Amino acid sequence: MPGFLLRRLGQAGVTILGVVTLIFFVQRLTGDPTYLLVPETATQADIDALRTALGFDRPLFVQYLDFLAELLRFDLGQSVVQRVPVTTIIASRMPYTLMLAAGALVVACGIGIPIGVLLALYRETLLAKFAAGLVLSAQSMPTFWSGILMILVFSVLLGWLPPSSTGGFSNLIMPSVALGLLSMATFARITRAALLDELSKDYARTARSRGVGTGRMLFRHLARNASIPLITVAALEISNLLAGAVIVETVFAWPGLGQVTVQAILARDFMIVQGVVLLGAFVTVFLNLLSDILYSVVDPRIVLEKAR
Amino acid sequence: MMRAAKTALRWWPLAILALAVLAAVFAPWLAPYDPNQQNLLGRLRPPGTTSRSFHYLLGSDELGRDLLSRAIHGARVSLVVAFASVVLSGTLGTALGMIAAYRRGWIEMIVMRVVDVFLSIPAVLLAIITVAVLGPSLLNVILVLALTRWPRYARVAYGQTLSVVNMPYVKLAALMGAGAWRILLRHILPNIVGAVSVVATLEFGLMILFEAGLSFLGLGVQPPTASWGAMLSTGRNYVSTAWWVATLPGFCLFVLVLAVNLTGDAVRDRLDPRLR
Amino acid sequence: MIGKLRSVRLALAAAAFIGLGLPQAHAAKDSLVVDLVNEPSSLDPQVQWNPDSYYVYRNIFDNLVTRDDKGAIVPQVATSWRQISDTEIEFDLRGDIVFHDGSKLTADDVVFSVKRITDRAFASPQLGQFDKIVDAAALSPTKVKLVTAGPYPALLAQLVKLSIVPKAVVEAVGKDAFNLKPIGSGPYKFEAWQRGVQVTLTRNDAYWGTKGPFPSVVFRAVPDGATRLANLQAGSSDLIVTIDADQAAQLKNAPRAKALIGLTERVAYLRLNTTKPPFDNPKARLAAAHAIDKAGLIEGILGGHDKPVPELLTPAIFGWVDGIQAPAYDLAKAKALLAEIGPAAKAEIDLATAPVFDQRIVQAVQQMMTDAGFNVKIAMSDMASYLRRAQAGPEATSLLSFGRWSCACQDADGVLFPLLHKSSGWSAYRNPKVDTLLEEARATLDANKRLAAYKQVHEIVATDVPVVPLYQAVVIYGAAKNLEFTPTPNESMFINRMSWKD
Repeated sequence: MPGFLLRRLGQAGVTILGVVTLIFFVQRLTGDPTYLLVPETATQADIDALRTALGFDRPLFVQYLDFLAELLRFDLGQSVVQRVPVTTIIASRMPYTLMLAAGALVVACGIGIPIGVLLALYRETLLAKFAAGLVLSAQSMPTFWSGILMILVFSVLLGWLPPSSTGGFSNLIMPSVALGLLSMATFARITRAALLDELSKDYARTARSRGVGTGRMLFRHLARNASIPLITVAALEISNLLAGAVIVETVFAWPGLGQVTVQAILARDFMIVQGVVLLGAFVTVFLNLLSDILYSVVDPRIVLEKAR
Repeated sequence: MMRAAKTALRWWPLAILALAVLAAVFAPWLAPYDPNQQNLLGRLRPPGTTSRSFHYLLGSDELGRDLLSRAIHGARVSLVVAFASVVLSGTLGTALGMIAAYRRGWIEMIVMRVVDVFLSIPAVLLAIITVAVLGPSLLNVILVLALTRWPRYARVAYGQTLSVVNMPYVKLAALMGAGAWRILLRHILPNIVGAVSVVATLEFGLMILFEAGLSFLGLGVQPPTASWGAMLSTGRNYVSTAWWVATLPGFCLFVLVLAVNLTGDAVRDRLDPRLR
Repeated sequence: MIGKLRSVRLALAAAAFIGLGLPQAHAAKDSLVVDLVNEPSSLDPQVQWNPDSYYVYRNIFDNLVTRDDKGAIVPQVATSWRQISDTEIEFDLRGDIVFHDGSKLTADDVVFSVKRITDRAFASPQLGQFDKIVDAAALSPTKVKLVTAGPYPALLAQLVKLSIVPKAVVEAVGKDAFNLKPIGSGPYKFEAWQRGVQVTLTRNDAYWGTKGPFPSVVFRAVPDGATRLANLQAGSSDLIVTIDADQAAQLKNAPRAKALIGLTERVAYLRLNTTKPPFDNPKARLAAAHAIDKAGLIEGILGGHDKPVPELLTPAIFGWVDGIQAPAYDLAKAKALLAEIGPAAKAEIDLATAPVFDQRIVQAVQQMMTDAGFNVKIAMSDMASYLRRAQAGPEATSLLSFGRWSCACQDADGVLFPLLHKSSGWSAYRNPKVDTLLEEARATLDANKRLAAYKQVHEIVATDVPVVPLYQAVVIYGAAKNLEFTPTPNESMFINRMSWKD
């Protein structure tokens, strides 16, 4: 077990270094932010002067080493556009990202899992078919379309919910639904597959033949075993939600990390992009590790060595 | 009679797909007008109106172009992007995953670490960064999607290959002197293609939506190319005064992605015997 | 000059009195909510050049001079000024301005602000607007002298953008802290910045000039235009920026919102790369000018608000000359000219643009040029790539590019020089005559001489067509029905010039 953990940690380190390096160089293929920072009337000399002052005239490799050195000191650097530390920016956006991810997860699990159960146990009923259609429909609409329709109906027409931005719980509802609808189908699908898998196993068949009710069985046995694949998916979905909510955040003016990162990409504000991607990589790697460990807790049959 | 109706009902997603493919292939013959021909005097006209030489069956857009013609041509972008990116990323990912699992050693290590790296960066962000580097265009959108999505296939292909590679018949083939390529293509690929297809069916609908999302961010195909994503993202600015501009491409996108997803679900049920 | 200014100020004060005098109007609107596109990048007025920051910080700071709603340069911190020599100018300052921390604004603060922004090591993106100033000196607590390197006619126009920061505070807290908690002398005080969410300002009740009508103002970042419009219609915001004419038309029948539209100094243009085929041939350039139906663009797409221009300026800019004759829209003539050129006219032309520009205009331009017989392809890239390529010089830049130019200085030197003079990266034109005229106009303080030089430039542009000037752009805001606000040519947004009518 310690050997396995060490190896996994080593792999995680390599992965994160790879992420950082890739993002560093790919971004810098697109030039630097100086043209975006200066007024139209700036001369080439002004632009060059600013570039030098910001350090973008140095050889790429020097900048890269500099960046790595800063990272080792746990310094993510400063945004050249906003001129504040990247950590300040990430820290201010983080609560909103977490809120939105949590809200979306609640929507996705709250609807997706019951529908998955429905699909596994009562596959042929009309209700199940309707539910399946609903789940798939929700996944088939671009969020920038469903988002603005929701705003127009629930805010402009009915006046029930605030149209955008933050403020209270009511502001969180529409973005959570818009984002949650996307992963709902994934949860339904996995739940259904996992349940069917368990149902076909001997213990479930025996229990059934003994006349144990479906409901009881569901809570006694199936839930525990079927939750394993669900944990994995949830882990993957969380990391997707963290920075993947770009469009939902843009439409609802929700100040999460996704929005600030897209703006930073377009503004060539490299340090912010690097910081967010690095954080995302950490979270992904950590969650993967955690889900491996959780596996073995939920299901002692799984030995950690086996995982990859 | 009832039975025929039921069969028809079951097959409608495929019919939609076929319809979309037909529209894409025969767009120039099906579309009533040139999708890019503008008519500034007939902007944002509702369905059924006539302006100059145009008769707008389904209305006109913000430059007076015929929406029906643009929707028909738009099928091309969605399908080409989705199909090409799935094939490209599927092929690349499967090949790398198989080789990594078969060769093991340092190849395995490098490939799987690169897979980890790519999977640790949110695909949307990576796509936006690369489009910014390459510049938006149809080809670049396809390349970017292929580049960001291949690791998903690689991981599945890798896992499946690992479980197949020790089967007696594969070992036998190796003993009989079959080359690595022959073993990979003849003996391993047929056994893992099912699992890879499952990923592909999930990805296909996602790629259509991805293209639309890039268009929304101004990083999709070049204007004036008709693409449902681009039409929808401009049309949404006019929802309250000219609802038809966004509704048509929105409906097309929705129905196509839904049909793809339903077909995908059906395919998965077939391929995955556990779910029977 | 001063007398006229005083009457302007009186009028402003009277307007404010009417707006504020009614007690219920005061109570009805405690807080104004403004939706910007992005959040300000920074509120230190000297470390950025960015419209969303400008909207906010201009209410926190006073500038040396400012422009009234019509666009004339009027006093703010400086009450009067006189040119001592070609390179020296003296300013008399108000003695009654107090920073938000209670300290007095003196000549030292003005000198400090000038020296701070012109210090190369400070790396202000705005350096280029002020680097003609070589020295600043305080002659008395209310008198400042600025020295320029040679005669610099656009100096006052540039000083409209110079915000005065408090020397003592900046030196005490340092650059980074000042950025987080800016202190100025303007009609609004910085209250809080919830990063990513909103910036809140509160009224400076001790302000020396026209006080703000709202006790507090909230600036929010709402990147999606459709969402901004929905916010306004739902009543969750009172003022939104950056909407187009079609969106403005949607507000026509809105129960509680309206569109505010004003002509600006911004000029839309097509720049031709005169060094490469087909535009190395003057006939092809002339054909391009004849191919574009400016009135058609404006009436057809822009809702008829913008105004076609025959020269590369707008009437809101010094240097505008009436009566310039530009090639008129004439499709037959354009086709005939292209036919004379023969196959060379068919060279592929890339039309560079970025998502921030109005894609309807770009596509319509493409259609018009295609109708004339050109072979135009749109090349859209993100703004950073667009700017880099646009300033890459004739060898590397695109054959055709669409742009909307504003120097935020309302002076021809900030438009014509960068777009035409050979020393500028933006220019894809090489004409020694034009270069000389532009240099002459830049080197004299004589307004008539400058106008004469610019007139010649306009005439050359009209016949030789290095650029096709298109139209004077409007700025469109969406506003709550009760909000009174006059858009200005330089697209500024002064809260203390607004009022609220119930």
